[in-house]
Amino acid sequence: MTFWKILIILAEGAGYTILVTIAAMVAGLAVGLLTAVLSRLHRKYVDIFLDVYKYIFRSIPVLVILFLVYFGLPGIGIRVPPFLSMVVSLGLVSGAYLAEIFRGAMAAVSNNEMMAAEAAGLKRTQIFSHIILPQMFRMSVPGMINEFTSILKYTPFAYTVGIPEIMKAAMTLAAMTLRGLEIYLAAGIIYFVIYKGFIMMFAAVEKKFHIPGLLVE
Amino acid sequence: MNVFLNDLIAYWPQILMGLKNTLLLMAVMSITGFFGGIGVFYLSISKWEIVRKWTQSYISFFIGTPLLVHLFLMYYGLPRLGIHLSAFTVCVIGFTLNVSAYNARYLMTAYRGLHKSELDAALAQGFTPFETFRLIILPQVLRLSVPSLTNQVIQNIKDTSVAFLIQYPDFFTQMQEIAAVNFQFFKAYMTAGLVYMAMVSVIVVAARKMERQIALPGLQT
Amino acid sequence: MALIEVKNLIKNFDGKNILRGVNMELHEGRSKVVMGPSGCGKTTLLRCLNLLIAPTAGQIIFKGNDITRPGVDIRRLRQDIGFVFQHFALYSHLTVEENVTLGLRKIKKMKKKDAVEKATYELERVGMFDHRNKYPAQLSGGQKQRAAIVRALAMDPAVMFLDEPTSALDPQMSREVVTVINKLYLDNITMLCVTHDPFLAKYISDSIVFMHEGVVVAEDIAERLFYDHDDPRIRQFFLSVIDHR
Ligand SMILES: Nc1ncnc2c1ncn2[C@@H]1O[C@H](COP(=O)(O)OP(=O)(O)O)[C@@H](O)[C@H]1O
Ligand SMILES: [Mg+2]
Repeated sequence: MTFWKILIILAEGAGYTILVTIAAMVAGLAVGLLTAVLSRLHRKYVDIFLDVYKYIFRSIPVLVILFLVYFGLPGIGIRVPPFLSMVVSLGLVSGAYLAEIFRGAMAAVSNNEMMAAEAAGLKRTQIFSHIILPQMFRMSVPGMINEFTSILKYTPFAYTVGIPEIMKAAMTLAAMTLRGLEIYLAAGIIYFVIYKGFIMMFAAVEKKFHIPGLLVE
Repeated sequence: MNVFLNDLIAYWPQILMGLKNTLLLMAVMSITGFFGGIGVFYLSISKWEIVRKWTQSYISFFIGTPLLVHLFLMYYGLPRLGIHLSAFTVCVIGFTLNVSAYNARYLMTAYRGLHKSELDAALAQGFTPFETFRLIILPQVLRLSVPSLTNQVIQNIKDTSVAFLIQYPDFFTQMQEIAAVNFQFFKAYMTAGLVYMAMVSVIVVAARKMERQIALPGLQT
Repeated sequence: MALIEVKNLIKNFDGKNILRGVNMELHEGRSKVVMGPSGCGKTTLLRCLNLLIAPTAGQIIFKGNDITRPGVDIRRLRQDIGFVFQHFALYSHLTVEENVTLGLRKIKKMKKKDAVEKATYELERVGMFDHRNKYPAQLSGGQKQRAAIVRALAMDPAVMFLDEPTSALDPQMSREVVTVINKLYLDNITMLCVTHDPFLAKYISDSIVFMHEGVVVAEDIAERLFYDHDDPRIRQFFLSVIDHR
């Protein structure tokens, strides 16, 4: 079996890897955005709730959360299918990190601009959607890329709940052929290609939406 | 709860051993990753373009590929070449390569924000490039990177749980075994989660304390 | 009837008396400048007048209605007041043109095409049309402030408030902005402008209000206020801001 053949077999699992990555990213963005909106309410109990959420999901390893969701929850009567387990776990974890990234970016939006918007007569919701959000997203790009990288780094865990992604394909093939060295090397290369592909995509998106002078930290 | 509690007590020595292994792995990789990160950072600002380029590729590759792949490659792949490494050794090598890449990237980011005129001043004063690195660049860059570096340590302790996938008998492995005996998966994983939270909290408190201690007036982190 | 009539306006911050009974009026088509030492409450006054901060007591009659009463439509009021800030406060993610059209579209509910048309017209008036597609970070200070003035002016407000519009600018850019505000003055735009710059004050005002520690202590035309006023507080102030060479 040539190295090329190995690459092709493993690449078949790449679809699932990409799917998990995108779904988890979308879930994480949704959760992160929701926390950003909620934090604007400045309600004490909401803030406490958000802090606790962020603390928990930034302190417990993804693998432990995944196992808790997939193997643990059935114990209290909740069955979560493999793909959903993966997306929920990764989504909640990256949502907690993105919430912090968004919070930092929102704090960087100039108070002067918000006051000008208020003085002009824009509604609070309009200020949020037309002034805060567009700046927040742009300033969060580097953080979002890091978060995406983390998600990709954790997608191999999907094999532990039986999703046939790259790692699962690699393990099956390795068990059959006993050529782990080439196979895992090939897996690494495929992951790296996916990583580079996503990074290039992000760079293109960032370039399209780039605004001179909007600080990207 | 009773059954579970009893099992926790019965398996206590094993859990303790697991905790010890987890902390050991975390400590080792945090230290090797710290020094590895400095080394990689040094290479990444080398005056030789070829060195800088290869270092960048190294950083990019280890950040862009999952750690698990590297662990599997060494643990299940190397034996084919007649190289048999223990799970612990594999973890230390794999994590060190990985954590060094991340740490080097933090140091790079801090380096970009440095006032380059200081470096010119040092060179002009007669310091060699290596002395400039050791005495001027490194102290500042390290201080500026403290929050990122400590975050990485927190990341490290969480990532040790991956080691269980290559049969390293860490804390999470022990909790799995208890769950496998009494089928109380939910409680076992909840307990595991709480213990990780406790360990992370200790690091967070220690890190904040350290950040306050080494802060320099006027030098922002 | 005055467009704005301020009666005994009081504002306290954390128990501190910042405005201590301000009285003044502004008529349509007239322009007033507010001067006075730093911290005397000029910014606070402007912000009270468009309810960016809530007055503690007193009355503000705007177009015949007391806007300190509960139930006023704050957004309606703010649409009637164009606000220009010292530090420009342009929306940094929007081009000059978008800065101008955002309010037209979202507050005035104008169609995009009409908003752009209106923005084009207003930008041309202050010589900013060529810069319409630039982002704030790509403009000089003077250009930023001119864009900010257009953004406020395009809403066709009943009155323009300007809070130290030239203080953040070097002399050259400052002149650029004074010219623009002077044009508004000659067009009989109703204005209330806070400034430390006697040059600006003189060329854009019908009269100057002098404030000291939260009250209006004098109101007069520039010539009579600037040189040898009876009130020592006023003499002192202008001694320090006017170059008497
Ligand atoms: N939001 C606020 N909270 C507390 N004190 C304030 C606030 N805004 C202004 N002040 C105080 O009110 C005084 C007048 O401020 P301001 O109106 O900005 O003065 P001016 O514009 O005339 O220089 C200052 O002493 C300032 O410290
Ligand atoms: Mg002021």
